[in-house]
Amino acid sequence: MSSRVLPQFDLLTPQSIPEAVAMLAQHQGQVSVLAGGTDMLVWNYIRKVKPAYLLRLSGLDDLDNVNYIPGEGLRIGAKAKVVQLLDNPDVAEKFPALFQAAETFATPQIRNMATVMGNVLRGSPAGDCSCAILALGGQVVLQGPEGERLVDIDDFWVAYGVTERKDDELAVELRIPEPTSTTRSAFIRMTRVHEDLAKLNVAVCLEINQNTCQQVRISMGCVGPILVRLKQTEKMLVGKQISDGLLQQLAASAQEEIAPIDDQRSTEEYRRQVAGVILKRVIEKAIGAH
Amino acid sequence: MSEKTYVGKSIPKLDAREKACGQAVYAADIQLPGMLYGKIVRCWDHAHAKVLKLDLSAAAKVPGVIKVLGPEDVTQKRYNTGVLDVMVPEEVGQLLGDIEDQRIFTDHVRHQGDAICGIIAESEEIAEIAAGKVKVLYEPLPVYLSAEESSRPDAFQFDERKPGNRAFQLPEQMFPGNAYGWGDVDVEMAKADLIVEETFYLPKVKQCQMEPHAYVAHYDQTGRLNCWTSTQMPKCVQPKLARLFEMPISRINLVSTTIGGGFGARLGMVFEPETCAMALAVPGRPVKVQSSREEDWVASESRHPGKYWVKLGVRKDGTPVAMDAHFTTNAGAYFTHASGVAFTAGSWMTGLYKFGSIRYKGDTYYTNQAPSGAFRGYGNPQTNFALEQIVDRACSELNIDPVEWRKKWHKGVGDDGWCMGVPYSSCALDECLERGAEAIGWEEKRARYASQSGTKRRGVGVGVMTHTSGAMPMLLEHTTCTVKMNEDTSVVITLSCSDLGQGAHTVLKQIAADTLCIPMDEIHIHVNMDSAGFDIGSHASRTTYVGGGAVIKACEDVKRQLIERASIRLGVPEQALEIKDQQVVSRNDPEKILSVKDICRSGVYNFTNPETGETNGVPGQIQGYASHFPAHNSPPFGACFSEVEIDIETGEVKVLELVIAHDIGRAINPMAVEGQLEGGAQQALGMVLTEETSYDKVGLCRNNGFTDYKMFGAADMPKFTTILVEQPDPVAPFGMKSVGEAGPVNPVGATANAISHALGITFTEAPITPERVLQALQDQKVA
Repeated sequence: MSSRVLPQFDLLTPQSIPEAVAMLAQHQGQVSVLAGGTDMLVWNYIRKVKPAYLLRLSGLDDLDNVNYIPGEGLRIGAKAKVVQLLDNPDVAEKFPALFQAAETFATPQIRNMATVMGNVLRGSPAGDCSCAILALGGQVVLQGPEGERLVDIDDFWVAYGVTERKDDELAVELRIPEPTSTTRSAFIRMTRVHEDLAKLNVAVCLEINQNTCQQVRISMGCVGPILVRLKQTEKMLVGKQISDGLLQQLAASAQEEIAPIDDQRSTEEYRRQVAGVILKRVIEKAIGAH
Repeated sequence: MSEKTYVGKSIPKLDAREKACGQAVYAADIQLPGMLYGKIVRCWDHAHAKVLKLDLSAAAKVPGVIKVLGPEDVTQKRYNTGVLDVMVPEEVGQLLGDIEDQRIFTDHVRHQGDAICGIIAESEEIAEIAAGKVKVLYEPLPVYLSAEESSRPDAFQFDERKPGNRAFQLPEQMFPGNAYGWGDVDVEMAKADLIVEETFYLPKVKQCQMEPHAYVAHYDQTGRLNCWTSTQMPKCVQPKLARLFEMPISRINLVSTTIGGGFGARLGMVFEPETCAMALAVPGRPVKVQSSREEDWVASESRHPGKYWVKLGVRKDGTPVAMDAHFTTNAGAYFTHASGVAFTAGSWMTGLYKFGSIRYKGDTYYTNQAPSGAFRGYGNPQTNFALEQIVDRACSELNIDPVEWRKKWHKGVGDDGWCMGVPYSSCALDECLERGAEAIGWEEKRARYASQSGTKRRGVGVGVMTHTSGAMPMLLEHTTCTVKMNEDTSVVITLSCSDLGQGAHTVLKQIAADTLCIPMDEIHIHVNMDSAGFDIGSHASRTTYVGGGAVIKACEDVKRQLIERASIRLGVPEQALEIKDQQVVSRNDPEKILSVKDICRSGVYNFTNPETGETNGVPGQIQGYASHFPAHNSPPFGACFSEVEIDIETGEVKVLELVIAHDIGRAINPMAVEGQLEGGAQQALGMVLTEETSYDKVGLCRNNGFTDYKMFGAADMPKFTTILVEQPDPVAPFGMKSVGEAGPVNPVGATANAISHALGITFTEAPITPERVLQALQDQKVA
């Protein structure tokens, strides 16, 4: 059960990334990193975690930006809030899936506090920004005692709530590649009410040339222990003209490719029933049909 | 209607600013010298179990723990958190079979969250740590989550006084056949051309008031037990606590704090017994108890869920010859409101339509869910879901317009009211139906949506309702009020009506200001149990109607005294005097005039001239008084129209628009009335579409907080139109009728009917989730 009282912990406030990494290494496995706190503090109240140390990022400069760098892509610092995605015109223009995920993300209050990186590190199959980032592709930049390493977003989530980040590593940045002029993306989620976690979410990123799909990445959430790419379904799309008939086939394929469960937000059966429907809709949304 | 300065005006709620700015003082904000912190230790792992062993020794040893209290360390008396017993004669309570079956700390856990012991410590943190060290050995008992399960002959018996786990049924002595209504339903049903019959299932929905329950209690040096609480009904909780702790009521003092929403959640006692028991264990030191949202959820009351069977017989022309209904409610683990809701729910049906005959049965069974209790509407939303849908089904089969049917068959002036024997004094339902239908575009949309294709289907539905203004004559109806005039003509109204956040005190001041002709900002409301006389609390949609009635009477008493004194000083007969613009003036001779201020001031600062022996006026501070028992309950009616759009590929229901036309009699504060209707609709839409407290198979709550219990938020609310139909009620003060409890009623039936109109499917189970809609669409192959 939850408590009205936070558990006891020591609060660490490093002033530099190396200091933070050193602290993580020193107290390996006993530290929870606190940025926006929208999940982490709740987890402390409900005793889902009882860390000996909370390491807060407030003393670290240079991690709070969302920057689009022409020729390279989008860089999202570890302290950047979800709301910053909405404030950045490049995100809306070049990464619509991510913009749309941020738009419906939780509540205005949470968007003002929660970080995009926190959503990725949470490792939830329901993460909206995470779902969009998986479709867009990208990398997580981790800083450890041995230096920096980049992990592809496709490999980052390994199990429910578990990521590739090691205990002594600090996630410092998200990188999303530069889109081309033919890149299209979109995001859709289904919820019980507006302010809710997704019961199902989907994002797609396509390279479209004269209505023919050159490349595609489809990610779907709440249909397994982690966010998944629907790779079989993607294959059916590559090299094809997008038509109603094809969309129907994709929908059928998506239903086969997922492994949802019953939980408090929905049922396995329902998720299978609607997965294909929202996949069809997100593709139409991305290519601007309807 | 005569023009008033304040009544009829949309005056913002007077407490809005301090609440929005975080300045309002709730019980949780109270800090007293030497205050300790109490923690109610609850059973979280079982819904039904015996406590075989309770070991408090490790908890007691935690530094900073003052005392640990097990079941034997507190009073052994049983209680019932409900307060029906205070508001009905004892013999009626006995006939209804109300029992006291709750204990402060129990060794028989009957629902998840039942309290097993208490810890008093120097800080909340310490109490929390100690709670973690309480060792309990449980013996699990079989868990029952529905009346069907707990009523089986071999089921564990919750209470020997309630065989078969039936907590309540309509008593045979009062209602032969355990039913009420009129006519011979069996005979009349046989005459019907069409019989429609269905069983509906109602969800367990929570009040979700913003402020979780919190208290401070202090057994002080004078031997008085003080409790700071946001209760809706201090004057009824006082005798309950007195009885529980076997103290005279004079030694129980309840201090009303700011209330962060009630909706019935604070009707009667909640965690006052536990908090006061802890305070009694540490005389001289105040104890604060705050609950988390999860505790509030599992241990305080909700709306009664249940199974509602209805069978309606109609002639070809729509004449409703017979209605047969049976509501089986789920009381949860304790009796509380087991009689009240099952009893009352049927009255919202008997009160609404002119059935040729009707038979309503209501009963209640114990289960291992959290206790059910009072929630805004008290049985009316449940009845609305079943009744309005079965009426629409009959209309649909007979091809009768649902609005026309309701116009023809609803009860009205002179008909027997919701409480039989009290005829309706007014009814503006026809106007509500007409204006509501016009606003939503009823005829055009009903026709247009009759044939649709594509993935989005629209529907429009109607639901009507009646409710009450105050609890007369079913319950004791009584509010006492004093109005004190200060020397500067500022006013202090003392009463014990709580402001739950609905704006009660704003409205009461508006009423006083216009009655006394004194500016609102010179009027203060003082809620204090010791100063105020009796009142049954803020519930049953009674505060404006009954509290307002008391305020008017007390203000009239002030005016009588002002005129009496002016008459003496001016030498003008009382009948010839009137009060205008804060002057008492003779109707016949405008020269004969005396200011209200002069009368008030000279009553207080009354000097005697030593030479003449004369005083400068009539001595005595003026205080008006009323002990008000309303003569009626002026029921409001209302019509709600709902338009929905359903995505037939996903089953998602979007409510596009609600039009609510409410028979308010006269709106004292139109903005507050609209607020009540909108807020009520938010609860109704949640009940019909998204909200349900659910349990796993061993009876543990699966959604005891807002993560997984989903209410409608601001972004979910539809376009909203309120129409206040003002036909003043002839017997009501200012012609007013109630609105608060009416809010969450008919949007339930209207929205369910709109869905049915869109899809041609009746959904018998609420909430009507996308999962249920999609399943039904597949079952019925809607294409």
